[in-house]
Amino acid sequence: MGSSDPELLSTHENCIEYGTNLKILASNDQVKELQTILRDRNTSRSDFKFYADRLIRLVIEESLNQLPFTDCKVITPTGATYNGLKYQSGNCGVSIVRSGEAMEQGLRDCCRSIRIGKILVESDADTHEAKVVYARFPENIAQRQVLLMYPIMSTGNTVAQAVNVLKEHGVKEDCIILSNLFCTPLAVKTVMDSFPKMKILTSELHPVAPNHFGQKYFGTD
Amino acid sequence: MAAKITTFEPPSSASSDSDCAETQADVSEVFPDGELDEERSGDYYTTPASPITVPYCPRPPSAGSQKSPKARRQRTTSINKSAAKKTATESVLRTQHRTIYTAGRPPWYNLAGQQVEPFIIGICGGSASGKTSVAAKIIADLDMPWVTLLSMDSFYKVLNEKQHQLAHNNEYNFDHPDAFDFDILIETLQRLKEGRKVEVPIYNFVTHARDTQTKTMYGANVIIFEGILAFYNPKLLNMLDMKVFVDTDADIRLARRLKRDISERGRDLDGVIKQYTKMVQPAFNHYIAPLMVHADIIVPRGGENEVAIHLIVQHVHAQLQLRGFKLREELAHSYVGQPLPDTVHLLPTTPQIRGLHTFIRNKDTPRDEFIFYSKRLIRLVIEYTLSLMAFVEKVVETPQGVCYNGKRMATNKICGVSILRAGETMEQAVCDVYKDIRIGKILIQTNFSTGEPELFYLRLPKDIKDYKVILMDATVATGAAAMMAIRVLLDHDVLESNILIVSLLMAESGVHSIAYAFPKVQIVTSAIDPEVNDKFYVMPGIGNFGDRYFGTEPSEE
Repeated sequence: MGSSDPELLSTHENCIEYGTNLKILASNDQVKELQTILRDRNTSRSDFKFYADRLIRLVIEESLNQLPFTDCKVITPTGATYNGLKYQSGNCGVSIVRSGEAMEQGLRDCCRSIRIGKILVESDADTHEAKVVYARFPENIAQRQVLLMYPIMSTGNTVAQAVNVLKEHGVKEDCIILSNLFCTPLAVKTVMDSFPKMKILTSELHPVAPNHFGQKYFGTD
Repeated sequence: MAAKITTFEPPSSASSDSDCAETQADVSEVFPDGELDEERSGDYYTTPASPITVPYCPRPPSAGSQKSPKARRQRTTSINKSAAKKTATESVLRTQHRTIYTAGRPPWYNLAGQQVEPFIIGICGGSASGKTSVAAKIIADLDMPWVTLLSMDSFYKVLNEKQHQLAHNNEYNFDHPDAFDFDILIETLQRLKEGRKVEVPIYNFVTHARDTQTKTMYGANVIIFEGILAFYNPKLLNMLDMKVFVDTDADIRLARRLKRDISERGRDLDGVIKQYTKMVQPAFNHYIAPLMVHADIIVPRGGENEVAIHLIVQHVHAQLQLRGFKLREELAHSYVGQPLPDTVHLLPTTPQIRGLHTFIRNKDTPRDEFIFYSKRLIRLVIEYTLSLMAFVEKVVETPQGVCYNGKRMATNKICGVSILRAGETMEQAVCDVYKDIRIGKILIQTNFSTGEPELFYLRLPKDIKDYKVILMDATVATGAAAMMAIRVLLDHDVLESNILIVSLLMAESGVHSIAYAFPKVQIVTSAIDPEVNDKFYVMPGIGNFGDRYFGTEPSEE
């Protein structure tokens, strides 16, 4: 992305602080507005879902940029050659139930027939310890690039458990891209310390995470 | 609808192009688009697509050969009942003897986006001298669209109670210069001459007041201005490029007037004679007849005078040709190799965007994939466009109990305008990212014989001048269509700095042409290609985006 843009400076600072595996969606006023609406307690549920879907779409599009590709040439209808590029097949999505599922549609809108796995992680009400209770993946997930979807990270425990499950299924750490909307610096640190090769893409680093996301998106608040 | 018309009528008839959506009354006018009032809400107004707007044969009313005007959009407003006697078909206007094809409007501005003034013909002459039929003949013989007829009758002054009573007794002098509101008339004609949209008042001859509705006139290459005192005001006289005086014998005028007022309007003989001898005839001798000295051409016998009309039409054609030029070719060959203007906002070329371009540029991509990947790319372009709007700081409370320093868009007055057909493919994305956005449409097609873009149709939100306008076209090659659309928006008083032209792919020359003509228009695109080929397609390009998206490409032999 246009690196001379002054708006991106904060992104670069973060990258230096956390390493290049943390990527923050190029912030502009429009993205900021989406974040503002999602954080505003007075936002109606219909608006919330509408703007959440927009932000999700942007994050998913940016996540897809992290996937590997090769150059290719195509002939245009005018007979000229266009130097394009081609994405490799063999990607899949994995959503962490429940709020991660909010991002599935965004992924579907970009990749019509992508395979999507699911992980259910539950926190123990007393110990706050995250525990995986359900996981279902495409069969050959070990050979795939995995787009792990989870919109809100406040401690990073849930994501850490999910990544552990993926690794148990043979997925390489550097093949995992975490798509995230809001994340706290603490969570980034926790996750990156445990999984230094994993890529993280988020739209905002902020000490307070909008934990109401799942409830408001699905209307169970 | 014709039944609603009020029939009382002053000396000459008014008729003119256009309508506005809320104009319920008055007469219908032929119009090429066959839709019926889908936006009667008042949020939209329509502007004439190709305003051939003159009743071809208003007097006497042509009987027969007439479809119900109800099935058509209500167009012109005219107080002349006989003006309703017209036929409409999809894209042609049928008059008694000929068919006028309503082609699009060729460029009316030059390379720098500046207006070329329309040609204004003034027609003056006594009451019932045949001005309207001369105007109608000229329009029929010109055989071109985008001709507007403006009548002085729309500009009668509003009468007070006493005057109204006088008028009722045939004692108000409608033939005196004081009966006309020259201030509004001059302003209206001046704006038309500048190519701007105008709201022409509708004069109600029953109440002698202006209706609350107005008719919208826009987009004329030739304006015909007719009225009994068309040459009276020196300012008006100055604006006329050609002055025609219709000189019909007084006996004939009286005879026509008697016939019209008695048999068509049900008035009594004494009243008509009284009005004629007391006011019409003296006004003619005092005010109208002396205006003959200003005329370039005096047409005896009115509309029957084929030779005179032929001469007029020839002159107009010659004048229009002098003003015309080939816009597109000049555009395609300007500004090679200059740095991009700073109003251009190119989306960051990420791998995804290149990947999407690879899909949609590949000639072998099947249509379902083409549509799918186009839509993804369009969505990104539109999201990026919204980020260019003005934003203001805003602090909001969060459910977590802390405040969040955020931003909100500074305006909620944003509308989309798509340039048909390819621009329509982008409408869905605009609606998907901006709730309840208003969408206008402009149809511009390339004329295959000249290669020039022509304006066919437009429909814009009524108060578009207050809006930021996202103008959408899928591809911009020479920029000719985009410039025409921008010109239309400017003519509707949209601020140049409030226009964003948004497109998937642009050619470098198109970008330069737009930026040169309209330096404040923001240009947004996801790719800029270096060349335009001799068929005005971008190279390497996408091909004909609309054809590929809608599946209307010619089959390959």
